[in-house]
Amino acid sequence: MILDLHTHSKKSEDSRATVVGYLQWLLKKKDLLPIDGLVLTEHRQFDADSDYRHLEDEYGIRIFKGSEVETDYGHVLVYGVNDAMLARFDFSNVRLNAQELITDVEELGGIAVPCHPGRPTVGLCEHYENKAPLEGVRAVELLNGGSRKGENERVEALVKKYGYGAVGGSDSHLVSFIGICATEFPREVSDEEDLVRALREGGYRAVDFRDRLKGP
Amino acid sequence: MSDTLPFGIDQSLIGSEFDSSTSEPVTAEDIHEYAASLGETYAGYFGANPIAPPTFCMKFRGNRFSHPSIPADAFRRGFDAGKDIHFGVPIRPGDVVHTSNTLHEVYEKTGRSGSMVFVVSRQRMTNQRGETVATIDNRFMLRPKADA
Repeated sequence: MILDLHTHSKKSEDSRATVVGYLQWLLKKKDLLPIDGLVLTEHRQFDADSDYRHLEDEYGIRIFKGSEVETDYGHVLVYGVNDAMLARFDFSNVRLNAQELITDVEELGGIAVPCHPGRPTVGLCEHYENKAPLEGVRAVELLNGGSRKGENERVEALVKKYGYGAVGGSDSHLVSFIGICATEFPREVSDEEDLVRALREGGYRAVDFRDRLKGP
Repeated sequence: MSDTLPFGIDQSLIGSEFDSSTSEPVTAEDIHEYAASLGETYAGYFGANPIAPPTFCMKFRGNRFSHPSIPADAFRRGFDAGKDIHFGVPIRPGDVVHTSNTLHEVYEKTGRSGSMVFVVSRQRMTNQRGETVATIDNRFMLRPKADA
């Protein structure tokens, strides 16, 4: 199963993409982008209210929800968000303590994955140059669709050095960016809780579809 | 969530009005001139009783740029980060447009270049019948001083 683990809809203030727009695009590009599902990781919030089940049924694409939060080690994707996590952390706080987030999210039934680690200021690599590495990180985002030249390459060394699992996500804020990077799992993923289990199990890999979209 | 927003702005100021103004009655000539300046050819924008092109509402900017609680010098370290416009009923000759500006949102985020504060001013325009002509969210990105 291939999931785009990092996407933003218009629920994020810097995105204009609608969820239905993403699904229509994926349907149109299904020969090039074999995406089975996406995770909406809205900035600094968890969208508990939106119900996309009717769109899942209509388009045959799974839609899960997570969050992208901001910490003292850069941005972090949180999967398996639940009430206990929302009570523990103020997701709107741009200065969350990364170590507490990694540790406590894990304890509360989720998983926290640092994203675009190669990016200046908001990526793990730069922070690791000046601070102690975080404990308990299981995986990082090796492939981020919004990265600039050299940023994803920087993460390869990080993954190798620390033995992190490697996921991929488009970080799409526009419809036409959906699915350009994603994560291939060795099994089906049924819901958000199962996504956490799958990320803890390992065996997945980051996949890059950008070359397919370039055309001949 | 904290009661104090970036720049030390009190949460209670969100939604507070910082400017309002009322236009002179719009004339058919105003609309013709505006439509012509855009190169519009749609017949509905011309003639004796035209409707205004949707962006005509941008003429009504009010008197103040931003809420007085936002430090003026912060605007020297930022830029216009775009606007969202929701159009309502068309403007017609004779309409008087009332504009009300409120502080809608202040939030912080981090990106490649460091910390950024976004200030959103909401401009709501109504006509003399109380109908919404347009709602514009003007977004400004400002740098906190430490990152300047």
